[in-house]
Amino acid sequence: MTEQPVLDGPVPDELAAIAERHGQVVAAGDNAATLADFRPDRTGQLLGSARLPDHLVASRLLRLQAEPDGLVAAFIRYTAADGSETVLRSRWIKLEQGWRVTQVRNVPDTPPVMAAAGPRDDGLDRPHWEGLRAGEVRIQRCAPCGHWIWAPQPLCPRCHSFDVTWPAVEPTGTIYAWTRTWQAFSSELSGHVPFVIVVAEMGTAGGRRLLGVLCDGDGADVRIGLPVRGEIDPAPSPDAWPVLRWRLG
Amino acid sequence: MNRSLRGAAAVAGIGSTPYYKRGTSPHSALRLILEAILAACADAGLDAHDVDGFVSYANDLNEGLAVGAALGVREVRWSTMVWGGGGGGVAAAVNAAAAAVACGQAEHVIVYRGITEADDGRQSYGKGHFPPLLSAHGVLTPVQVCALRTQRMLEVDGVPWSALEALVQASYYHAQRNPDAVGYGRPLDHETYADCRWVSEPLRLYDCSRENDGAAAVLVTSAERARDLRQVPAFVLSGVQGAGPDWSESAENNAAYTSAGFHPAMVARMWAEAEVKAGEVDVVQVYENFSGPAVASLIDLGLCPPGPEAGSFMTVPNLIAPDGALPVNTAGGNIAEGFVHGIGLVLEAVRQIRGSSASQVPRADVSLLLGGPVAPLVSATVFGSPATI
Repeated sequence: MTEQPVLDGPVPDELAAIAERHGQVVAAGDNAATLADFRPDRTGQLLGSARLPDHLVASRLLRLQAEPDGLVAAFIRYTAADGSETVLRSRWIKLEQGWRVTQVRNVPDTPPVMAAAGPRDDGLDRPHWEGLRAGEVRIQRCAPCGHWIWAPQPLCPRCHSFDVTWPAVEPTGTIYAWTRTWQAFSSELSGHVPFVIVVAEMGTAGGRRLLGVLCDGDGADVRIGLPVRGEIDPAPSPDAWPVLRWRLG
Repeated sequence: MNRSLRGAAAVAGIGSTPYYKRGTSPHSALRLILEAILAACADAGLDAHDVDGFVSYANDLNEGLAVGAALGVREVRWSTMVWGGGGGGVAAAVNAAAAAVACGQAEHVIVYRGITEADDGRQSYGKGHFPPLLSAHGVLTPVQVCALRTQRMLEVDGVPWSALEALVQASYYHAQRNPDAVGYGRPLDHETYADCRWVSEPLRLYDCSRENDGAAAVLVTSAERARDLRQVPAFVLSGVQGAGPDWSESAENNAAYTSAGFHPAMVARMWAEAEVKAGEVDVVQVYENFSGPAVASLIDLGLCPPGPEAGSFMTVPNLIAPDGALPVNTAGGNIAEGFVHGIGLVLEAVRQIRGSSASQVPRADVSLLLGGPVAPLVSATVFGSPATI
């Protein structure tokens, strides 16, 4: 017996069957049929956006939700052969040729986990990363003149002392700049777009700015000047590194 | 001692391969560079064996000495790579060549840039500029950094969105008149622009430059020599390049965050040496990695007012040849002509001085080239017609 999807808001009658069928062709690995459901001018972006396990065995349309600008979000759950479940949210738009997917993402919204996390090859920023391991946000500061330095340098650009320190700072600040990235520029970003990157200005570190992903940024009303608080995402494995994230509030 | 570059050097030849869709060049980047150099020399009426200097930028894979060897030149006297990422080095490369010929280090210097995806890989323009403090957070490409800057320019400085679109629309307008442009025959309307996909907010697909396979080259020589060659010389009136104190590799900590990088001292030096004021510029080729930083460049130079007023200046009628107040990117630019790290902008700046652009500005005596916005360095060259000397 098929469970009916939850309908949230005014949702066109025909869309439930279209989205249900879309889930079935995706689960069946029918690429041609999947692509035919995509908005033609953004198939490349859509293909890179979501991440699904191989060998899907089932799909189920969980929910249809009316959104602004006439879009409708479809939440479809995919089940893999190993029993794991992945939910994708596809946003549908009514074009002349019919309903098409104009955006898709994995839910819940999780930040990309990048293999690049960790000190650079020359080790200049290593104390920062080791600080994150110790649960602290450490920023470079000149010992003699007190100048805050970011990105890290071999010496203080102001007084030319090589005596630089790495004090821990309270990870709070305000949003100085932000962008919401929609394009999966590498496969590591697939399954996490769109995500929001913020540059946070830290009064606790002489106004230095630290960049990081804003947690739950996809649907957030992000504005320059809003306060943010840093969190440390633990390392995904013992030989990987923790990463600083930002959160509104 | 005359310490000015003004009028001492000129571009005497230009050459280019077609812009191929990225990954589709039939030849290596080296071969394309050689084709472009031969075309530039033929344009000037110079035997390519007489080239004695090479300058490139943005870590071009083909060193000047190897290029010289391939050409069998009589002697390589000058070989320079401009440090610093991206298109920031494009005008700096012209300036380096001009400096070399101005002080007699070389006579015929080629400035070149060639890219093929097969040789350079994808996104070769960003290599080496995304350390872990960026890449650990999913910041992998220039568009994301430029989006951060553009967002603040829009949200805090108050530059209206329409300024970005006007630059893009002007580029596409000019590309419709340039049969060599990748965007030729593909006009862009407002609806298509406004409805295209986000790449990284606030930048959409059409705000972004293309990526092409191709190569182009220009021949820089002394003013005296240029007068003997076949073409109307495009004289170098001034050239500036570089970065302010906190500009490069600062993980988004530069003070002038919404600037393109043309800091006030650099801009003042450029106008002073050229003996030109902002209002006397006839036409601009402004490097647009993305629309927002190009607008920031025009603001930095004082060619466009800052803040909300930018919207009243940055309109399509103002930005198109022949009658706009300040025609920009008259061949279509990186956005609509094609992208080989901005080298095409140099050729178009020269065409405007010669009077040979497909979107010619009448009596273009002062033609400005701006390279780099938001790159680790920026650079500019002011070209002048013989009437300015």
